[in-house]
Amino acid sequence: MDPFLLVGVIVCAVSAALCLGAGVLRRPPNDITILSIAAVELFLVAYAVGAVIRQLAGEPVLGEAWEFWGYLLTALLVPVGAFWWAILEKTRWSNFVLAAAGVTVFVMLFRMEQIWDGVAGL
Amino acid sequence: MTGQRSRQGNGAASAATAPDGAGRASGPGRLLIAVYGVFALAATARAGFQIATKFGEAPLAYLLSAVAAVVYIVATVSLARPGARAYRISVIAVTTELVGVVAVGLLSVFDAQAFPSETVWSAFGRGYGFVPLILPVLGLLWLRRNQPGRSPRDGRS
Repeated sequence: MDPFLLVGVIVCAVSAALCLGAGVLRRPPNDITILSIAAVELFLVAYAVGAVIRQLAGEPVLGEAWEFWGYLLTALLVPVGAFWWAILEKTRWSNFVLAAAGVTVFVMLFRMEQIWDGVAGL
Repeated sequence: MTGQRSRQGNGAASAATAPDGAGRASGPGRLLIAVYGVFALAATARAGFQIATKFGEAPLAYLLSAVAAVVYIVATVSLARPGARAYRISVIAVTTELVGVVAVGLLSVFDAQAFPSETVWSAFGRGYGFVPLILPVLGLLWLRRNQPGRSPRDGRS
C-alpha cells in the first residue's frame, strides 16, 4: 500500500472516530475534534504537494488526470466546509458533521488512489 | 390566520432557535444537510464526468445521474433554508429522491442492460454504502418532526 494512502487513511479514521466519540458523548466541538479535522486538511495539503512532485518526477497519474485533480481539489474543500458549517452552531451534532467530513475524505482518498493507479473507471 | 398559528406552533417546537421552520437546519438537521451536501457534490461531479466523457454508452443511466444530482442540490438548499415554501420544496425533493433510488435500484437489478455503469442510485446506492437509500428515509422523518406550524409528535431530545 502506498505510504501516503496509509497515513491518510489513519489520519481520517482517527479524526472521524474522535469526532464521532465526542458527538456520542454529547460534547460540542472542542480543541481535539477541531484539531483532528485540521490534521485531515494538513494531510491533504501534503498529499497534494506530494502528488505534484510525483507527477513532475515521472510517476504520472495513470487514470484520468483531471479527474484525479478534481477529486483532490474537492477533497481539500471538504474539511474547510465542514468546519465552517459545524462551527456556526456549536452542538454535539457539529461533531457528527466533522466526523462525516473525515469519512468523506477517507472514501475520496481510496478513489484518488484508484485513479492514480489507473484501476476502474467511473 | 393560519400563518400566525404556524409561526407560534413552530417557535415552541424547534428549541426557539429561529422563526418559521429554521429548526430544520439545526441539531440533527445540520448533519443531514452536510451529508446531502456531500451527495450533491458527488452526484454532480459524477454526472458531469459521465455526460462529458461517455454519454453515448448509456444515455438513460447518465441522464438519471444528472437528475439525481439536481435532486440532491435542491434537497440540500431547501433543507438549509427556513420558511414554509422551502419546507414544501424539501419534502418534494426528498420524496423524489426516495422514489428515484427505489425505481433506479429496481431497474438496475432487473434491467442491467440499461445500466451498465454504476450511478449514484444503482443497486439502491450500493456503491455509496446504501447511504442514498437511508438518507431520504431519515430526511422524511426529520421533515415530519419539523413540520412548520405543528408541534412535534415526540419531544425526544
